[in-house]
Amino acid sequence: MRTRREVARRVFAKEFNSSRYKLGGNAEKEPVYVLTPLGLKCNRIFIIGALIEKEETKPDSEVLRIRIADPTGSFLGFVGKFDPEAKVSLTEIDIPSTVAVTAKARLLERGGRVIPFIRPETINLSDFESRDYWILETAKATMKRIEMMKGDSELARLAREKYNPNLEEYKEMVVSALMRLKEEVEISEEREESIEESIEEEILDLNDLF
Amino acid sequence: MEKIQSIVNEIYEIFKDYNVSKSEIEKRLKLLIFEFKVPEDEAKRTIINGLRRDLNLSREALRFPLTKIADLEPGKGVSVKAKVIQLWEPTSQSIAQWGVIGDETGTARFVIWAKSAKRKVEEGKNYIFERVFVDEFGGIKSIKVTSISEVREIEEDIEVSENWGEIEITGALVSISQNSGLVQVCKICGKVIEAGICKEHGKVEWNEVLRLRGVIDDGERTYDVEMEENCIKELTGLDLRTAKKMAFEHLDRGIVLLELKKKLLGRYLKISGDLKFRTVNVKKAEFFKTKVREEVDKVLEEVKAL
Ligand SMILES: [Zn+2]
Repeated sequence: MRTRREVARRVFAKEFNSSRYKLGGNAEKEPVYVLTPLGLKCNRIFIIGALIEKEETKPDSEVLRIRIADPTGSFLGFVGKFDPEAKVSLTEIDIPSTVAVTAKARLLERGGRVIPFIRPETINLSDFESRDYWILETAKATMKRIEMMKGDSELARLAREKYNPNLEEYKEMVVSALMRLKEEVEISEEREESIEESIEEEILDLNDLF
Repeated sequence: MEKIQSIVNEIYEIFKDYNVSKSEIEKRLKLLIFEFKVPEDEAKRTIINGLRRDLNLSREALRFPLTKIADLEPGKGVSVKAKVIQLWEPTSQSIAQWGVIGDETGTARFVIWAKSAKRKVEEGKNYIFERVFVDEFGGIKSIKVTSISEVREIEEDIEVSENWGEIEITGALVSISQNSGLVQVCKICGKVIEAGICKEHGKVEWNEVLRLRGVIDDGERTYDVEMEENCIKELTGLDLRTAKKMAFEHLDRGIVLLELKKKLLGRYLKISGDLKFRTVNVKKAEFFKTKVREEVDKVLEEVKAL
């Protein structure tokens, strides 16, 4: 039987970025997982957010550093020659754009610091509607984990031992992400209007020319 | 003699799944009634108890008769011999394991409650689930393994029915495999060929088809999906003829795969089709739309109640 594909988990940037511990990776071929403060064990994640940064780490390094923001923070990512598909798509995507990303979840350990980051496998243009659904879906998944953290499962115990998270803080995070969603629905509509207005202005200007 | 036959049938009904033949029951019954002159009722009880001992079955096992998956009825207590075909990640801590089991008549879901404290089952292995209860949710039957149940691995390799029934999934299309797009497939086995050569059948005649092989992921489970031209056209507007034209104009079939990736990767899809092992043969596909705004308030209430 072939090895099972890892599920792409839904997690907000704030929870992911607070991760400091790894699980697995002991035996050969055993996948490595990032353990988040709410007891999520993830090897792969799926995000829809705003691509707000895309830069070469060093000149000619061929490695791009990217940032993808959600309502709670941003995911740091690196795209190199080992992820050709993601790299090709990135060259065609401007900043800022709404993107859908499937990525490997990783931890970078440097001089006593642990930095969570992602290695995108695929990056594609997405839209506000899908992004809104992602926020909703991720809010629900986070809620489930907050609930789980009150129980006595192995992951809940481990996460409590490693992080002792303040569940209220994460509840507030979910609430504010959802609230942002409500306001953003309105703002995005306003923005569309203002774009239309500016187009009209341009047309007016052109008319003046003739 | 009619009376004898009806008792034989009665006993046979109880033990039919345990490889007991009618003629064997009849032989024992006739022996007791005609030779030993035992009353019919007593003879019946003696045979049932005797068979139960021979087959090493508890009294309870008979109250939970061995049942084929196609015959599961909600609300009944049964025993089921089946293969574990899929294990899903538990979504609640009251569940130890859950997933799909199958036998030659069909498939069903199973749930092993954490409180039942059973040894873990593994995918691909065969088990007898004794003293379990049948449930039904949205037309899908499931069996519940509780603390009164017994789960034992068995030697027998159970053949699983090919047809798993319809399934509907909503999730993100997180991966499209390289053998998607405009591809040439072997006329004999339908697998993708390379340079006119099928790995299994050598140099063969081939068909050119538009198809998609990918993975839909809902954050909790993944499903391999297979889509043919009709669904691809429904989603992207691309059909075999236009795909061929594109490939011809660019002198590259790869352009079709690129186009599919651009239009579909990372998208939320709602699909329905036949589930077979992990793979869904997609019959209907659409972009998933939801009224986010309406749902936000509902979810906000739920968070605040946490
Ligand atoms: Zn072939």
